[in-house]
Amino acid sequence: MKVKLTSACGLLLAGAVVVGLGPSSALAQETLKFGVVGPMTGPGAQWGLAAAGGVQIAAKEVNDKGGLKVGDKTYRIEVIPYDEQYKAAVAVSAMQRLVNQDGVKFVFGPVSSAGTLAVMDIVKDTKTIGITGAYSSKALNKSNPYMFRVYSVASDFAEPMVKWLKKNLPATVKRVAIINPNDETGWDSDKLLSELYKKHDYTVVGKELYERSVRDYIPILTKLLAEKPDLIDVGTAPPGSAGLIVRQARELGYKGHIVKIGGSGPRQIIEGAGKEAAEGVINYLPSDEQNPGYQRLSDAFKAMTGNQMNPLLVNWYDGAYILMAAIQAAGTVSDTDKVRQSFAKVLPHKSVLGGTIRLGGESMYGIDNAFLTPNYIGVIKNGDVVTVGTAE
Amino acid sequence: MLALSLQIVLNGLTTGVVYVLMALGFTLIFGIMRVVNFAHGELYMAGAFAVTVLSGGLSWPHLPAILASVVLVGLLGAALQRLLFSRVIGNEFNCMILALAVSICLQSLALIVFGPDEIGAPRPVTGVVHLGPAVIPADRLFVGAVAIVLLVAFYLFLNKTRLGLMMRAVAQDPEMAALHGVRPNLIHTAAFAVGSMLAGAAGALMAPIYTVFPYMGELPMMKAFIVVVLGGLGSLPGAVIGGLMLGIVESAFATMLGSTVAALVAFAVVVAAIAVRPEGLMGRRA
Repeated sequence: MKVKLTSACGLLLAGAVVVGLGPSSALAQETLKFGVVGPMTGPGAQWGLAAAGGVQIAAKEVNDKGGLKVGDKTYRIEVIPYDEQYKAAVAVSAMQRLVNQDGVKFVFGPVSSAGTLAVMDIVKDTKTIGITGAYSSKALNKSNPYMFRVYSVASDFAEPMVKWLKKNLPATVKRVAIINPNDETGWDSDKLLSELYKKHDYTVVGKELYERSVRDYIPILTKLLAEKPDLIDVGTAPPGSAGLIVRQARELGYKGHIVKIGGSGPRQIIEGAGKEAAEGVINYLPSDEQNPGYQRLSDAFKAMTGNQMNPLLVNWYDGAYILMAAIQAAGTVSDTDKVRQSFAKVLPHKSVLGGTIRLGGESMYGIDNAFLTPNYIGVIKNGDVVTVGTAE
Repeated sequence: MLALSLQIVLNGLTTGVVYVLMALGFTLIFGIMRVVNFAHGELYMAGAFAVTVLSGGLSWPHLPAILASVVLVGLLGAALQRLLFSRVIGNEFNCMILALAVSICLQSLALIVFGPDEIGAPRPVTGVVHLGPAVIPADRLFVGAVAIVLLVAFYLFLNKTRLGLMMRAVAQDPEMAALHGVRPNLIHTAAFAVGSMLAGAAGALMAPIYTVFPYMGELPMMKAFIVVVLGGLGSLPGAVIGGLMLGIVESAFATMLGSTVAALVAFAVVVAAIAVRPEGLMGRRA
């Protein structure tokens, strides 16, 4: 095992690096600050680090090319990441600090649903552009036009995935058990997945909500496995927790299918579950790991932090470029009303992976503030993740 | 129903013995030095990282890696006592604040060195063992067996060795022990080391069961606190009974009613214990 200065510290320092180094420094005249609010520590850290990493890589690329030209001025991008610890109260503190002390008008995050719902009023009252990673359907609504979402969420890709399961798993797979964290994110996922599985003629034989601090899932698995499910969906469990659920289910003798229709992190599932137990787990993927664009970002993230990249980083990276394009189209870094209206002008946008990102959401949320990103389905095979289809 | 009941009890016992290990170290340090060691969870985390580095990074066999981890955490505990806690012994409030500060420092240090990712430690054994209609993962059975060996060793140490006798003497009456030639400073260091070793052992044993990350000690620390309040702060038999009881109660409620209810019940039991029997099940009335 290498002893290394890793992700959280690396990324927090990287904000300064992005600003201070590179040929851009001499050319760019003013600074444009982007905040990031995500869990940089704890079980959801992979998702927060992906958010910070994606924005920082995009910012560094732009700075290295001379900065972001808006009107007749050129700006260096400064990225300020804060840890929300997957706690609503901490997310509020981070957002207040960004808005009131750091003077930030553009914030990526919060990543958590609870954190996002807690900062909705701050975003609206201060006219700050928020680009959240929240899965909750309540994160977007027409009364708050300043909040956007950076990627497709379960309500976008869950049904295509359930249809994929119906088509590709044996017809004998009928009984489904669902496990989710006991919070806003988990409740939404629980409701959505239950409805979808029932709609597609599965029987939901058990549902469990667990506290995020729990590491021992044997008791809840004991109860669920007594119902003899053919398929367990670990929903929005963080990847590390999902890995433990997978392993402990296998240890209790469960031989059925395991699927994760929710926050992605197949590499962390393999790490937590072990290669053998993770074999065959079906994952929602926000990106295709075999794509050359993915490899380029993965290398950049590894160079920055020494760690493996979470697939969600691709969405945050694309999101950063979409925001910068919207700012350029608006021709202002201060009038956020003009910037939010510009998203419709710059989308569709071509993803670094080649797919198309569209703006949508009105039919579900009453407002077109969701970035609809391409979705993939991956299966863990021999300790690796193989893309087997799309969930469009 | 019988199978489920047996499964619940087995799940509870395997979790409970680890709670006992954690709580024994915690209550030993309190009983002898009156230090509420909030850094106990980080000693658990240190044991987990040590075994992960030794058995994973350096490919040591698992048992020597566990033993070395226990010794390393013991040395860390002794160093903390000599360098820091020895300066504030006697002032319970300062000890508590110092322990909190040490806890945060150790977490941050682990974050800098290892990063926030959850790491998997190599597993000593794999597979499952069938006990009648119940199933128990082999690695948990291994943890339970090693934990019981450690508990027996700890009992023999306290009751059959001179150092153990001196520790008990200091815990019961430090002034009288000093009058009989027992050096309190030496006993304090030894007790902190032994208490730390127990936490380190719990961490080293649980590392392959769960994942390893800098904040992994928070929950076991909380559990140790519940156990010692339940069993009686400073009472070693109380820690054993409290730990096993908590393990089984949690297992039963988590299985039947979910983990949220199990957490609620654990704390409700503590509230009831404080209200009805403040000294705990086996504690001495002040």
